[in-house]
Amino acid sequence: MDELIKDIAAQEYKEGFVTEVAQEYIPKGLNEDIIRLISAKKGEPDWLLEFRLGAFRKWQKMRPPYWGHLRLPRIDFQDIIYWAAPKRAEDRPDEIDPALMETFDKLGIPLREREVLAGVKPKGEVAVDAVFDSVSVTTTFRKSLADKGIIFCSFSEAVREHPDLVRKYLATVVPAGDNYYAALNSAVFSDGSFCYVPKGVKCPMELSSYFRINAAGTGQFERTLIVADEGAQLSYMEGCTAPMRDENQLHAAVVEIIVEKDADVKYSTVQNWYPGDAQGRGGILNLVTKRGICRGSGSHLSWTQVETGSAVTWKYPSTILKGDYSSSEFYSVAMTNNRQQADTGTKMIHLGRGTRSRVVSKGISAGHSENSYRGLVQMGPAADGARNYSQCDSLLIGSRCGAHTFPVIRNQNPHAVVEHEATTSKISEDQLFYCTQRGIAPEDAVALIVGGYAREVLARLPMEFAVEAQKLLSVSLEGAVG
Amino acid sequence: MDRQEVYVIGRDSAPQYLRLDAGEELSMTLVVPPGTDTLYTLEVDLCGPGASLDLAGLYLCPEAGKVDLRVLVRHAVGGCTSRQLFKGIVGGTARAAFDGLIYVAQDAQKTQAFQENHTLLLSDTARVESRPQLEIYADDVQCSHGATTGYLNPDELFYMRSRGIPEAEARRLQMIAFLAPVLRRLPEPLIEEIHACLS
Repeated sequence: MDELIKDIAAQEYKEGFVTEVAQEYIPKGLNEDIIRLISAKKGEPDWLLEFRLGAFRKWQKMRPPYWGHLRLPRIDFQDIIYWAAPKRAEDRPDEIDPALMETFDKLGIPLREREVLAGVKPKGEVAVDAVFDSVSVTTTFRKSLADKGIIFCSFSEAVREHPDLVRKYLATVVPAGDNYYAALNSAVFSDGSFCYVPKGVKCPMELSSYFRINAAGTGQFERTLIVADEGAQLSYMEGCTAPMRDENQLHAAVVEIIVEKDADVKYSTVQNWYPGDAQGRGGILNLVTKRGICRGSGSHLSWTQVETGSAVTWKYPSTILKGDYSSSEFYSVAMTNNRQQADTGTKMIHLGRGTRSRVVSKGISAGHSENSYRGLVQMGPAADGARNYSQCDSLLIGSRCGAHTFPVIRNQNPHAVVEHEATTSKISEDQLFYCTQRGIAPEDAVALIVGGYAREVLARLPMEFAVEAQKLLSVSLEGAVG
Repeated sequence: MDRQEVYVIGRDSAPQYLRLDAGEELSMTLVVPPGTDTLYTLEVDLCGPGASLDLAGLYLCPEAGKVDLRVLVRHAVGGCTSRQLFKGIVGGTARAAFDGLIYVAQDAQKTQAFQENHTLLLSDTARVESRPQLEIYADDVQCSHGATTGYLNPDELFYMRSRGIPEAEARRLQMIAFLAPVLRRLPEPLIEEIHACLS
């Protein structure tokens, strides 16, 4: 029976394979020596090691947040391997292991620049930073981006090659002691992406990072830092998958985005970590801190996320609107099925004059899952003429799931306007009947209706992602109806 | 409606827990007059099919003070209806918070639950917090909530002033209009009293 269930689960999550590749690990556990070891492995300067140790000491005094509408399994932080990397062949250290290339190929991530350029693959130009467990395997299109002055590389390389920039911006948006998981990440972070777009430069292609967990018993702790200098423009996408395992794996990432005057950043995520099986065994614990700051006037930051994976999602991409007349948007589709739990939303903190924000959140819960929107909109005393509009809709499929909305509105300014509305509903019998009567199978009909419901958000995604996201939604829904 | 009840917080002893059984209907209005410091909690259980709750409230804190309203409406069984409408005006150095949770239990199908909270902020030093929340475990339901915070519309003010209505009077009219949906549920003497304290 168990085998059968596994098979069914396997069909649903096609990214659940494991790559057989020689990997090197550090010992299990978490203490200052482990942190020193990680830092030494990456050949980091002293200031960064100090930063890590400082964060670790803060983390030891902190407690995990309990306010989420989540039932988290107990995490034994001493039972996790904090660093795992595929071994490089000693005779050819610069070459990428073909097994890794194959893995990313299978996941549909173009790592071969030549093919893309020659038009072998019909995809548009996308620069990819591919992260496999704790290290970045490769970053494509670095040269052509560098010609424009754009730095796009793995975080470790950025520390080596652009230490001033990293030092200037690191932890300015998410301080080391911000919250329990951010502190943990600050102490043990492995690889991630670093991106810097200089003054007035428009990034000519989409930048993206792809995160893959492969090794068992490990966690992934990537760190991403994106800086858009004055008038710069960029669009960044993030994707992630993991193999199917019966154990929970921890993913605690930190993403920081700095948007200077008149710059424009668009950040999109399609989160497809392994969600666990139908009984709720295994799956990734996705405990992530993402925050951006609109530092200069007229700057703009847009978040788009499609959350379909992970056993537990705890994630609140937020924006601090500090610059006058800066603006931010948050578009989210969060889909939970089986025993998945999601507690996600956003924070919009309006500090500057005339700042604007818009929040559109679409939750879909099916099976025995729990799906919550949690958000904060705050209008500071100086946010004259600021405006926010939030809309949070929930869709319930089946009578054993939960859909919740927990917004907080805090207004300290008599010239600011905040509006929030939320609705909860189910797919109506009429809609279903209309489709089935025209010969559309019930499952397809549900996918169609859900697609329409989530359209406003999906339309915001870059092309390649939108297609994938649509597919993901219908796959995640499999077995939810009937 | 069978029962229509009005309570002035700080003056009347308002209930803190209510239970509505099958078919029971209740219309209740809460008033927090100026100068009241309060932390008021109300819990309502809808325990029988067909129970219906129509709850409204207004809180006036034009100068100082701290008002904290917490309302929990629990739909334990299906087929019940609840409506909530809370309106507040906050000025001076006052602090006002509204925390409203609609809870719909598993299998409480055919529930209808609605909640609205609107506040006007009149001064730089006043603070408003609103936490409208939904916790829903049944799928065949209609639930919604809405919350806004804002200020007196300057266009409306200009319209009235350009027609010879003094500024203070125009503001008063705006506030009365804002509160009207709740005011109309109150007895005449209480309406007069509220009108008087808005000037």
